[in-house]
Amino acid sequence: MPQPDRGGPLAGIRVLEITKVWAGPYTGKYLAALGAEVIKVESASNIDEMRAYGGVDINSAPYFLSINQEVLSIQVNMKTDEGLELVRQMVAKTDIVIDNIRPGAMERSHLGYEDLKKIKPDVIQCSIKMWGNEGPLGYQTGYAPCFAALSGLGFLVGHEGETPRGMNMRYGDSTVGATAALACIAALHHRENTGEGQFIDLSAVEAMTSLVGDSLFAYSVTGEVPQPDGNFHPEMCPHGAYTCADGEWISIAVADEGEWQALGKILEADALAADPRYASLSLRLENRHALDEALNTLCFAQDASHLADRLRSAGVPAFRSQSSLDLCSDAYLWGRQGYRMVSDHKTGTRPIIGPPWRMHPDMAKVERGAPLLGEHNDYVYREILGLPRERLDDLIARKIVD
Amino acid sequence: MTGVTTPGALSGITIIEVAERPAGEYAGKLLADFGAEVIKIERVGGAPTRHMGPFRADDIGGESTLFGYLNTNKKSLVLDLANPAGRATLDKLLARANALIDDHDEAWGTEHSLTSTAVAAAHPKLVHCIVTPFGQGAPPEWQKARPINVINAGGWAYHSPSEAAPDKPPLKGAGRFLPDYESGIDAAICVLASLHRQRGVPKEKSGGQFIDISEVEVQVNRIDCVLDRMLAGEAEPGPERTAYDMGGPSTSFACKDGHLYLFMTTQLHWQGLCTLMGDPAWAKEFPTDWLEFHCTRERVDDFREKIRPWIASQEKLPITEAAQKLGLAMVPVNTAADIPMNEQFVHRGFFQEVAHPVFGSVAYPTVPYKLSASPVRIASPAPALGAYDAELGGV
Repeated sequence: MPQPDRGGPLAGIRVLEITKVWAGPYTGKYLAALGAEVIKVESASNIDEMRAYGGVDINSAPYFLSINQEVLSIQVNMKTDEGLELVRQMVAKTDIVIDNIRPGAMERSHLGYEDLKKIKPDVIQCSIKMWGNEGPLGYQTGYAPCFAALSGLGFLVGHEGETPRGMNMRYGDSTVGATAALACIAALHHRENTGEGQFIDLSAVEAMTSLVGDSLFAYSVTGEVPQPDGNFHPEMCPHGAYTCADGEWISIAVADEGEWQALGKILEADALAADPRYASLSLRLENRHALDEALNTLCFAQDASHLADRLRSAGVPAFRSQSSLDLCSDAYLWGRQGYRMVSDHKTGTRPIIGPPWRMHPDMAKVERGAPLLGEHNDYVYREILGLPRERLDDLIARKIVD
Repeated sequence: MTGVTTPGALSGITIIEVAERPAGEYAGKLLADFGAEVIKIERVGGAPTRHMGPFRADDIGGESTLFGYLNTNKKSLVLDLANPAGRATLDKLLARANALIDDHDEAWGTEHSLTSTAVAAAHPKLVHCIVTPFGQGAPPEWQKARPINVINAGGWAYHSPSEAAPDKPPLKGAGRFLPDYESGIDAAICVLASLHRQRGVPKEKSGGQFIDISEVEVQVNRIDCVLDRMLAGEAEPGPERTAYDMGGPSTSFACKDGHLYLFMTTQLHWQGLCTLMGDPAWAKEFPTDWLEFHCTRERVDDFREKIRPWIASQEKLPITEAAQKLGLAMVPVNTAADIPMNEQFVHRGFFQEVAHPVFGSVAYPTVPYKLSASPVRIASPAPALGAYDAELGGV
C-alpha cells in the first residue's frame, strides 16, 4: 500500500534509521516531522528498549509511542546474512542512514560508510556515539547524564557553592538527536551542490559542549574558568526564581531601571525600590543575595501565575516556573497545537508533543502515531524492494523478517 | 575587502540575519559555519551582543567574547532599518538572498515591515524564520520573555537538578542562554529543510516558506518521552520537582580535584564499583541486586553517605578511567579548563585556533559533527562592526 502524501520540505527524502532508545529516534522523529520518509529497522529478537519499558505490549509501550510519530517500522534480523543483505538493498534506495548503536557494530555488520558507499555512492551516513566513532576514548559508552558531565555543561549547573549536580538527568539525548538532524540536512545540501554523499561522525558529548560554547570561548580568551552560578546573570539583577505561595516559583529577569521600578511598584515595595543598596545594576549585583532574600519574602504569599501576569503587564519579564502538571494543562500550548493528536493503534488517538515549529505553506502532516513492529513490512519489502509476496512470506517463516 | 570564500555544505546559499538575540544569532552561526554567506545586519552602534561580556580583564567593555563566539564566519553590515534608505538596502539584499533569520517580537516586525505577510508579499521566494519565546500570536508582553523565563516556562528549570529540593530555586541551566541555543538548533534545522525545498521548486513558483519557532515548545519537545507519557495518562503529572527523575543513586560527587558523576542502574555496575573500591566491608551490607530490586530512598542515602569519603579521596581522571575499564559509567565532571586538554576532544579536533584582531590566536569550540566531505571550519572570526559596509551598501 502506498504511503500518504504528507508534504513538507523534506518530502521525497528517504531515511533508514538503525537506532535505539532516545537520541537516534529523536533524529528520525524530527526528519519525519519535516516530511522525510523515515524507516526504522527493527527486530523482535533485538528490540528497541523503548518498546519494552513500562508495559508488556511492545506495540503500545509508552516511551516508544512518545517519540516515533510518523516513522515507519520494518522487521529484519540483522544477525543473519540474509537479513543484512535486505538492509543493503534498502540502503540502495535510501538517501540518509542514521545509527546510534554500539561503537563498531555497524562496521562489523558490513554497514560502515565504506560498505554503504559501494552500494549507493551518494549516501549520507550519520553515526551518533557518545564520543564519536573513534579516538582514544571512542570505546566508552554512557548515558545522557554522562554526556552532560563530560561536556562541560553539567559543571555549570548548580546552586552557588554546592556540588554542581547538572541539569535534570534526562537532559541531553533529545538535543543530540536534533543536532544530528541538522547535520544530515546540511549534508543533503552538499549532495545537491556536488552530487557527493558523506559520513557524519557525531559526538554526543560534543553536542552538549556546543550548548556551552560561549562559556568555553570566554575561557579561551580570558583564562577565567566559568563556575556553577545558580541563577546569576552578570547583566541583569534581580535575575532568578523566587518562591511563591503553595511551593510555586516565579522567574523574574530585570534588565534596567525602568523594570526595577516597575517591579517595586507591583510588589508594593517602595522601601525596596528606594533602598540605596539597590540603586543601580552594579549595586544590585553587589548585594544580590540580600536582594534575592527580600524578593523571596515579598513573593512568598503571592500566587505565582497571577503575579507573573501583573509583572508582565507592567513590563517586567516574568513567568511561572512550570511543573509537569502545569505543562500538561497549559491551555496556551494546547491552543496553538504545541500538543496535538495523532492516531493510535490501541486507543484511536493519542496526544503528542508536536513539532516546535510551524511552517507556511507546506508544513508536513504529523498525523500517524508510532508504528507497530513491522507495520510497514509490506510497503518496504514489496513496493520499495519489489519482492514478490511469496518471497516475503518465506522470509517471515524463516524469521529473517522477525 | 573581497568576500571571504566559504566552501562547505551550504556553499552558494545567502542568509540575511536581522536577529539580535543569541537565539537567532546562534541559528545564523550554525549556518555560517556550514559555509553559507551570512550577512548580519547590525544597528548603528552595533548588535546588542557586542556590548555583553565576558570581556578580557584588561579590556572591560571592549571586545565581547559572546559576540566573538556567536558570529564566526559572518559578514557585518550596519543599517538603520528605521530609515527608508536603510530599509531599501535590506530589501535589495533580500531580493538576492535565500533566507532571512529574525528573533524580534511582532511589534518590531510590524514597525519594520518584516512581518511574515509583509516579507512573503515582497519576497515570495524567501525562506523567512522568526524565533520567539512563545511563537507567533503570543500576547505582546509574553514576547519579551528572557531565557530564564523560557526555561522556567518550558519545565526544565523546575526539574533541575534531579532530586531538586523543594526549598531550592529552579535553575536557569548552563550559562545565560541555554534555551536560546536549543532554539537556534531547531531554527537552523527548519531553515535548512526549507532551503532544500526551495531548491526543488521551479524558478517561476514562489518557493518561500515562513517558519515560526517557539522557544518554549523547543524546551517542551526536548522532554518528549517523559512528558508525553503524562499527557497521554500513562504516568501521573504533578507538582513534584522530581517528576522527571529516574530514581536510583546516580549523581555527582565531590572528589579530590573536582567532581565526578556516577551512573549506576544494574548489578553489573554495582559489581564493577565494588571491585573498583577494593570490596570494602560496608558494600557487603548491600544486596547484590539492590539497584534493580531494592533501591529504596533510604538505601540510596545510605550508599551515598558510605561512598562519599572514598570518592572524596580520589582524583577524577585516574579513577574514572579505571571505572570505565570495569564497565562502570563513572565520568569526570569536566570544567572549561579540562575540555581543551581532554584527549578525545584533541583527537577529534573540536577546538580550532583562529586569529582574531583583538583576541589574538585563540581556541574556538567548533561543532559536534565531523563531515567527511564538507568539514566545518572557522574561516573568519566574528566581523568588525560594518566590515562589509562598503561592499554591501551600509550606512
